[in-house]
Amino acid sequence: MNARVVLVAVMALGGVATLRAQTIQNPTLRRAQQAFDNLDYRQALSAGQAALRERLTGFERARAYELLGFTYSGMDSILKAVDAFKQVVLLEPERTLDPNRTSPKALSAFQVALTQVLVVRQLVVDSVTFVGGQGVVPLRYTVTQPARVVTRVVGGSTSLRIDSTVANGQVNLRWPARLPNGDPVPAGNYTIVVDATVGQNSFSTSQPIRVSHGSVDTLAHLTSLPGYTYLPETEVPPKSWRPMGLALVYTGIALAGTSALSNGDLGSASLREGGTIGAGIVLAGFIMTLKKPAPQPARGNILYNQLLRDQITRRNAEIAQENTRRRQQVALTVAALPRSSR
Amino acid sequence: MKALGCLLLLVVPGGLAAQHVAIGPQVVFGDYREVSSDLHYRGGGIGAKATLEWKKFSADIALSKVKYKPTSSVIGTQFDASEVDVRLHYYISGPVSAELGFINRKADPEFEAQSVGAVTAGAQMAYLLGPGVRMALHGGLMFGAKYSGGGTTSGLGALQLGLGLTVDALHGRVRVTGDYGFQRFSRTTNDGSGPLRAPIQQSLGRIGFAISF
Repeated sequence: MNARVVLVAVMALGGVATLRAQTIQNPTLRRAQQAFDNLDYRQALSAGQAALRERLTGFERARAYELLGFTYSGMDSILKAVDAFKQVVLLEPERTLDPNRTSPKALSAFQVALTQVLVVRQLVVDSVTFVGGQGVVPLRYTVTQPARVVTRVVGGSTSLRIDSTVANGQVNLRWPARLPNGDPVPAGNYTIVVDATVGQNSFSTSQPIRVSHGSVDTLAHLTSLPGYTYLPETEVPPKSWRPMGLALVYTGIALAGTSALSNGDLGSASLREGGTIGAGIVLAGFIMTLKKPAPQPARGNILYNQLLRDQITRRNAEIAQENTRRRQQVALTVAALPRSSR
Repeated sequence: MKALGCLLLLVVPGGLAAQHVAIGPQVVFGDYREVSSDLHYRGGGIGAKATLEWKKFSADIALSKVKYKPTSSVIGTQFDASEVDVRLHYYISGPVSAELGFINRKADPEFEAQSVGAVTAGAQMAYLLGPGVRMALHGGLMFGAKYSGGGTTSGLGALQLGLGLTVDALHGRVRVTGDYGFQRFSRTTNDGSGPLRAPIQQSLGRIGFAISF
């Protein structure tokens, strides 16, 4: 319970501190804001301009120019509004206006201001993880004017040019995170720097990133192919009268042969011996007919299983090769870091 | 016949070490007739049978001694017939094997019946009735028959026919065996008065068991 209270208190203090950093402290500027809220544009204008002559934080200065921009827009002084918004953009290039809470006049003035100032906005580096050499890091930014834009990554002793182009508007880049020799970028902290230049004007923005290395997951060996199962290699044939039939045939041939081959001068042939053995054979054939047949090799299934085993062996050999390759690879993780406050 | 015996001596010992051998005793019973239906004997005795298998070759060696007694008390006296029957098989295809061998039967007393020896050639058809149960039918001609009392046989005059059954027991360590053999020699003699028919015919049944190695 106490811990929860302490935690809430710490969070409240932190919030207040943040609010203090993000709220307007200058009384003149607060008076100007209040006048603007009361639709007293003249008072807002004079107070805002007076505030700009005072000592302001960067945030307050940007808010003062923004207040002037809104005020000029309300007074239909578009050019002056554009000039004020240009200062806002120069002070806070990432500043955007909420179209749901901003008048169309102010919005259009802000958009015109953006086109008249060279800034690189909304530099975003997506956090990704990929195998070195097989993926890219997506980058994007917006240039407000047509400009020569050079994108670099800087860190330690490394300075790599990612791209150099003439661009306007949103630019999407794909960085393979490789050194010129093809090796993956070493692990560490880097900064993506975007420099835009038009004539004498130039602008630069940056985004810190962290590159970390990991091992690439290897593939598990297969013991079976999904969707394929081994078939029984023997099958019990259906019961058949074949043993009985063949026993009768063999015995019949022997006894008939004995009678046929017997010499007529010697009287009728003795079938006692042949009959005894033949009866044994017929009995054996009868028993074998009744008995459950012995499992016979199922040739088709044996071939199928052999094919399956060959396929798994081949696939495992490929996996082994792939794993050998993967053990020499590195998994790159690129994560964007929070920007340091200006 | 001697050459065949030599061949057996050469082939069999080599196969003994590596392949299947089965050997065991048999009870023998037979029917023997000679010259006419009046000389008719029946009897029983003992025997032994050995089987060897080596690759595509197999050999059956059967020994028997049968005490034949005349069925009529008027004609003939009893005698002992000692017979050696050797058959070599070479597997050809399916159920068929070629067969080559010899038989030699001696009568004791010597003049009570004909002693005979011949080379046999023919074929055997074997079929597996079920697990461990085999039957075989064999037949062929007997060439170069020699008789103790003289006489000759034409080329197709001496025939043999046989039937066999083998049942494995005790996981194949013991085999129950049953064999039937029929021989007919269309023998003719000539004492100067012209050829006389003096056929010889024997039916022999053997039942026993064998130990497999």
